[in-house]
Amino acid sequence: MDITIKARNLKRHFGSTRALDGIDLDIPPGRIVGLIGPNGAGKTTALKAILGLSSYQGELSVLGLNPARQRDRLMEQVCFIADVAVLPRWARVHQIIDLTERLHPRFSRERCMHFLKNSKVRPESRIRALSKGMVVQLHLALVMAIDARLLVLDEPTLGLDILFRKQFYSNLLNEYFDEERTILITTHQVEEVEHILTDLIFIRDGKLILNSSMDEVHERYVELMVRPDQADQARALGPLHERLLFGRHIFLFESGDIGQIKALGETHKPSVADLFVALMGTESAPALETAE
Amino acid sequence: MNNRTLNTLSTLVRRELWESPVAFKWAPLGISALILLFVVFSLIIGGRFDAEMAFTSDMLRQLAEQPTEQRRLIVSGALFSISAIFFQIMLLIILFYLAGSLFDDRKDRSILFWKSLPVSDGMTVASKLASACLLVPALFFGAIVLTHVVLLLIATVYGLLAGVNPIATFWLPASLPRLWSVMLLGMLVQALWLMPIYAWLLFCSSWAPRLPILIAIAIPAGLAIAQHAWTLITNFSLPGFNFGLIMLKRLGSGVLPMSANIEFGGNLQSIEFNEELFMNHATVLGYLGRLEMWIGLAVALLLLFGAVWFRRRATDG
Repeated sequence: MDITIKARNLKRHFGSTRALDGIDLDIPPGRIVGLIGPNGAGKTTALKAILGLSSYQGELSVLGLNPARQRDRLMEQVCFIADVAVLPRWARVHQIIDLTERLHPRFSRERCMHFLKNSKVRPESRIRALSKGMVVQLHLALVMAIDARLLVLDEPTLGLDILFRKQFYSNLLNEYFDEERTILITTHQVEEVEHILTDLIFIRDGKLILNSSMDEVHERYVELMVRPDQADQARALGPLHERLLFGRHIFLFESGDIGQIKALGETHKPSVADLFVALMGTESAPALETAE
Repeated sequence: MNNRTLNTLSTLVRRELWESPVAFKWAPLGISALILLFVVFSLIIGGRFDAEMAFTSDMLRQLAEQPTEQRRLIVSGALFSISAIFFQIMLLIILFYLAGSLFDDRKDRSILFWKSLPVSDGMTVASKLASACLLVPALFFGAIVLTHVVLLLIATVYGLLAGVNPIATFWLPASLPRLWSVMLLGMLVQALWLMPIYAWLLFCSSWAPRLPILIAIAIPAGLAIAQHAWTLITNFSLPGFNFGLIMLKRLGSGVLPMSANIEFGGNLQSIEFNEELFMNHATVLGYLGRLEMWIGLAVALLLLFGAVWFRRRATDG
């Protein structure tokens, strides 16, 4: 199977700001990739380039197509949800479904209706009369009813209640995802997606800070919890990051001497959120140098 | 063009109808209703003064006694004049529609949804143009036909009451096949003639940050005023050639009659009111042979490429 997204030295400048500063990416099919970064890190710029919505310098190929020139052909295989729900407000639900069915060769009306079954979205409703959450539900149903090879979700669950968010990620994993497909997600609600991700990418100031599979992440990083009296010993091993929790010191290490680390206290896998803070946080600026 | 392209285009045109049902569907039907209401009211009020309909019947009998040529001129001329109301409003609707067509979805960001469909930007622009040149004229034409038929039916009832033969007095002189076919042809040629104006509006709509219709008017108007001022200052005379006036004149001098007699310089063109004015296929087709037509189409093509170019970059940055 071909590589789904391949980027070499991908760049984008807005004036003097480097939104993308020479990114290399290889995303194979069958992955669920989380693209995580603070606001203004270049996430949306990268997604827009991949979707053919903005210009860029460097090499980029998505499913073997050039997104900037072949957006219309690319969209037969790719579907996306932008950061806010942007369905046309004048349309009725059944009109949007009809249009998508006529314009998209890989759309299935049955699947769409199946995903809408449990929602309050009615075919006769106008989009402008739906609540924000209902618009998102409709948009997600439309997108998941498309048999695409790449699904790009930019903050997909913004404005949804927790029940629907859980439901959505469970649908995504159980009914949508398979080895042929790739899903690329950006979100601020990292905890919700971390258990479904297969790959993790951290981006900051247009550069990739981390780009590896979750398995590698778990091999490479370890979190150690120690009592205060052992903190200095732990510091001596060169942690990336240190924080305090209920009087305990929690250190994050990058693939050090695991035996030594384990001897000091309790170790476990760091959560993506903690890893994010450790690698991207401002407090640990010197540590970042090693991470890069 | 293959089948898929045509299907996509027709779906996108249907989308336009869904988005603007008031302008495209209810406006022409509304004009029909207003005209018919006006006619019916006039007849009712007239009937109150015209006891036993003596006056009305007398007029209808007089019409029936006119020579065939004259009858045709009166009946088809009246029907054509009524359709002129439709044409003027249709033009206004098309101009406003085009100015907003590539702007509204940029404003509310639903462009991101449209761009998530496998539809090229060229196809999107083509669908807006096709709606302006084919869909809107077709719907207005339908309303015109409806109005004509209902008016002729009303005339038939009055004709029968007055004892004149409605077929010979109204239906045959109306020369509907010829009237309608000239009108349809005229609408199509009119669309070609106005193509540079349409393309200009689409072009402005594709990049204007706000109020595309005002920008589309302000640019040529500003240029025209600047050019006038410049030649007036430098030459103490008015320019013989003015960009803004060329656009205005083209808008005013449509293919369809009733707009044919606007001439700058203060005088109306003297046009004798005869059948040739509105019933001649050749006059309409004659526009295709004019150099201005082809220059206009070339300009339109450039502007349309510009619109597609800006549409492609509409989500950039």
